[in-house]
Amino acid sequence: MLLVTALPMLRALWLSLFSYRLTLPAARQFVGLRNYAVVLADPLWWQDVRTTVLITAVTVSVELVAGMALALAMHWIPFARRTVRTSILVPYGIVSVVSAFAWRFAFSSETGFVNGWLGLGDFAWFGHRWSALAVLCASEIWKTTPFVALLLLAGLAQVPDELGEAARIDGATAWQRLWRVTLPAMRPAIVVAVLFRTLDAYRVFDGVFVMTSGAQRTESVSFLAYRQVIVRTAIGLGSAVSILLFLSVLLVAAAIVKVSRVDLAGVRGGR
Amino acid sequence: MSRRGGRLAWTAGALLVAAYALLPVAWIVSLSLKGGDDVYARRFLPAHWTLENYRAVFRTPLFTAALVNSVGISLVSTTISVALAALAAYAIARLEFRGRSWVLGTALAVAMFPVVSIVGPLFDLWRSVGLYDTWPGLVIPYLSFTLPLSIWVLTAHFRQLPWELEEAAAMDGATRWQSFFKVMVPLAAPGVATAAILTFLFAWNDFVFGISLTSTDRARNVPAALAFFTGASQFQHPAAPIAAAAVVVTVPVIALVMLFQRRIVSGLTSGAVKE
Amino acid sequence: MRRTSTASHGRRDEQASGGLAARWLVLVLLAAAALLASACRGTPEDPTALSWYVNPDNGGQARLAERCSAASGGRYRIRVHELPRDATGQREQLVRRLAARDASIDLVNVDPPFLPELAAAGFLRPFSPREARELAEGMLAAPLRSATWAGSLFAVPLWASTQLLWYRRSVARRAGLDLEAGPVTWAQLVDAAERTGTSVEVQGNRYEGYMVWITALVASAGGEVLLDPAAGDEARPGLDSPAGRAAAQVIRRLAGSPAANPALATADEEVARAAFQGSRGGFMVNWPYVYGAEQEAVAAGALPPAVLDDVGWARYPRVRAELPSRPPLGGIGLAVAAFSRRTALAVEAARCLSSGESQTAYMLDARIPVSRRAVYDDPRIRDRYPMADLIRASIDEAEPRPRTPYYVDVSAATVRTFHPPASVDPDRTPADAARLVVAVLHDRVLL
Repeated sequence: MLLVTALPMLRALWLSLFSYRLTLPAARQFVGLRNYAVVLADPLWWQDVRTTVLITAVTVSVELVAGMALALAMHWIPFARRTVRTSILVPYGIVSVVSAFAWRFAFSSETGFVNGWLGLGDFAWFGHRWSALAVLCASEIWKTTPFVALLLLAGLAQVPDELGEAARIDGATAWQRLWRVTLPAMRPAIVVAVLFRTLDAYRVFDGVFVMTSGAQRTESVSFLAYRQVIVRTAIGLGSAVSILLFLSVLLVAAAIVKVSRVDLAGVRGGR
Repeated sequence: MSRRGGRLAWTAGALLVAAYALLPVAWIVSLSLKGGDDVYARRFLPAHWTLENYRAVFRTPLFTAALVNSVGISLVSTTISVALAALAAYAIARLEFRGRSWVLGTALAVAMFPVVSIVGPLFDLWRSVGLYDTWPGLVIPYLSFTLPLSIWVLTAHFRQLPWELEEAAAMDGATRWQSFFKVMVPLAAPGVATAAILTFLFAWNDFVFGISLTSTDRARNVPAALAFFTGASQFQHPAAPIAAAAVVVTVPVIALVMLFQRRIVSGLTSGAVKE
Repeated sequence: MRRTSTASHGRRDEQASGGLAARWLVLVLLAAAALLASACRGTPEDPTALSWYVNPDNGGQARLAERCSAASGGRYRIRVHELPRDATGQREQLVRRLAARDASIDLVNVDPPFLPELAAAGFLRPFSPREARELAEGMLAAPLRSATWAGSLFAVPLWASTQLLWYRRSVARRAGLDLEAGPVTWAQLVDAAERTGTSVEVQGNRYEGYMVWITALVASAGGEVLLDPAAGDEARPGLDSPAGRAAAQVIRRLAGSPAANPALATADEEVARAAFQGSRGGFMVNWPYVYGAEQEAVAAGALPPAVLDDVGWARYPRVRAELPSRPPLGGIGLAVAAFSRRTALAVEAARCLSSGESQTAYMLDARIPVSRRAVYDDPRIRDRYPMADLIRASIDEAEPRPRTPYYVDVSAATVRTFHPPASVDPDRTPADAARLVVAVLHDRVLL
């Protein structure tokens, strides 16, 4: 399994050291680290990194809060459980490109109803950076909050009720019980959710591809890699972008694990 | 808070949540019922309801074959992935072996590599091995990308379970296999269900591998097939047929979710079960 | 697995747990077996089968393939395979598989701007001079030019398309603009639209359609986007020139005018058509498919027939009053893949697919203009397309987009600098674009 993914990764690493175009195989030449220099010196790379970090920060933080609220709802709601839980999980089951199209059609000024409902006339949501990013983030949040909610719910279900009971007997309010008892007990689940969601959010692609094709400075780093590798068939340069993207993702992951100080391979429970 | 006030609050909250979750879905359904230029009418509901998009979708073997492929590949990936993840998570959570965190870390790192760049070399590899345009050709990458999350979720679960349960089972004469199957797995059912759903939906949603590692109806999955849908002309975007296909494709997912949602929250022996 | 200190007696219990474990194992093995079985499914080789990779089009090309297969008397059978709907997806699939020397591709539809790239890469088989003479007979000039590279014909043009100026007759009357009398310039159009409070619709989204517009403007102004495209990565851009500046001026004039679509920066062909059919519609440049689409919309009751009657057509607008306009060129060429094992049959099939009868049938069936001169004289065609002569003349005099193996880079660099249309500045933008094109050709920037 690891081998299957490791081999193409290594090949991509190897290719990033060449100036190579798929459609001109004869012109391939070894250029060492020059591709990396080109990427790191290019303002487009840094702009895309800033955009991607922005999208990641916004979506993950909103999803964490909303996901927690949904997880609590799924866990505690006293009636109509099945309907509520199913409807919460449905967004995650919609194929992501379709969801992106649906949001695009809803917000575009020629086909969409949003402008009508909000009385905005002819406003072109995708014609300006901030409104386009807002729609992009909203669609990502809508789609993947169930993922976070699910992970948090799994963690929530593991919290023993005695803790909550004990706190209540001690006179703690519901809010205090949440903050001081439940959340700390759920820490590993929260960290897993944040970790995986951040890594996925950093690699956002589908929404950018469908809604703006990267215009109006909404391009993400993944999309940049796609354009170099697939659209331009500049495999050498594109592989360099991918390797750099991979390294930044690794960096982010390491940072999160370090900061949370949770050893997930961990100590045995209970001892 | 009075009982009635509490119930009212929960009802309001539930309605809000349902509306938030289902509005875009309703929009997709509405799109699927619009015909021709009605898509440009800028209204939520269609002017004339029509089922022509659904008929069009089922007429082509492109879609029905893709549906079969998607369902089959997703189910197979889920089964194998959860099985392997459970074993691996058990080993990591319960057994001592060196390089434990390394295994987790490497698996995670592998899943973080941008798919876009793997696709090219993987395409070449599959062509030379003969797995291009086949089910295993898609299942294997899916496994690589979903195992890390499944392993982590299940590890977290196994870790939480008290060690005493297993010690009790061992004292009753159970072997390691028995304690694994009869004690641990049932207790970690929420985790198993979660991992299963996440893996299934990853395989179900995948577009990049689907479009690059397949070329015919033999293995093409639904998101990739959507890229082949046509409008009335080269420039007209087939929004309505795609929406119809999406609705058809989401119904089994909803059914699946309805089946699983109970499992997810079914509780531990010691925990309260809010049923 | 290292053993820990738990007792492990009780062999009788191993049977029971073995049962459960065995069941699970069987399940997993079954799944794996299903996988392997599906992998080993092979298809027998059929020596008369030709694989034709087409862009999706609701079955028109499939029907054409059947006609020609039947007409061949059993010598070959064309099997149609579809590519993804968008041009990038099509190119991606083709490039990847041809780069891997896939022998299962015989005939392939090629978008003319990408032809030099594929030809220079050795992915396409050029037609021999004799074949070329035969296939080129009766074809319109511009499509033929765009199907040649390095002196050889690499594809036989199948369909060809161009953009026309579509206008609402009522609006033209109100503005005092008589389009039947003679050609108009962009400046006149924008003035007329401003006077009547209507719009001029174009494609300004950040995509290939915008490049189509820019190229047509530069060519209509007498210049070229690339001065010597055959020079490969040493090609010099022609954007930083009076023609480039004139083109930028047109874009600026429209983008800054109330006659522009507010969503100009994201407008594609369908957005333009929808706005043109709306209450503020005045003028539009677009491909001929809009006429058929409007007829269908009327038939479906989504468009009032009065709007369709109000629609007129004219030649693509001029940039300079004294220079004839060079409309954009689109279309599809049919090429033989270099690694095909049945090239003789493929060439024969190509001959049938591009013949007069085939093209006439296709134009009637799929409502897409074709590349053969004589087809436009057919009474059935003239009946369906009142603007047949205009289409033919426009295609004949159209300007192809820059023909270079680096087309994708040139197009992306140009579009990126010129986008959004509201930011175009005739003094800076053409020069910036020229600089970016050079940098991109030398692999010195990301795009």
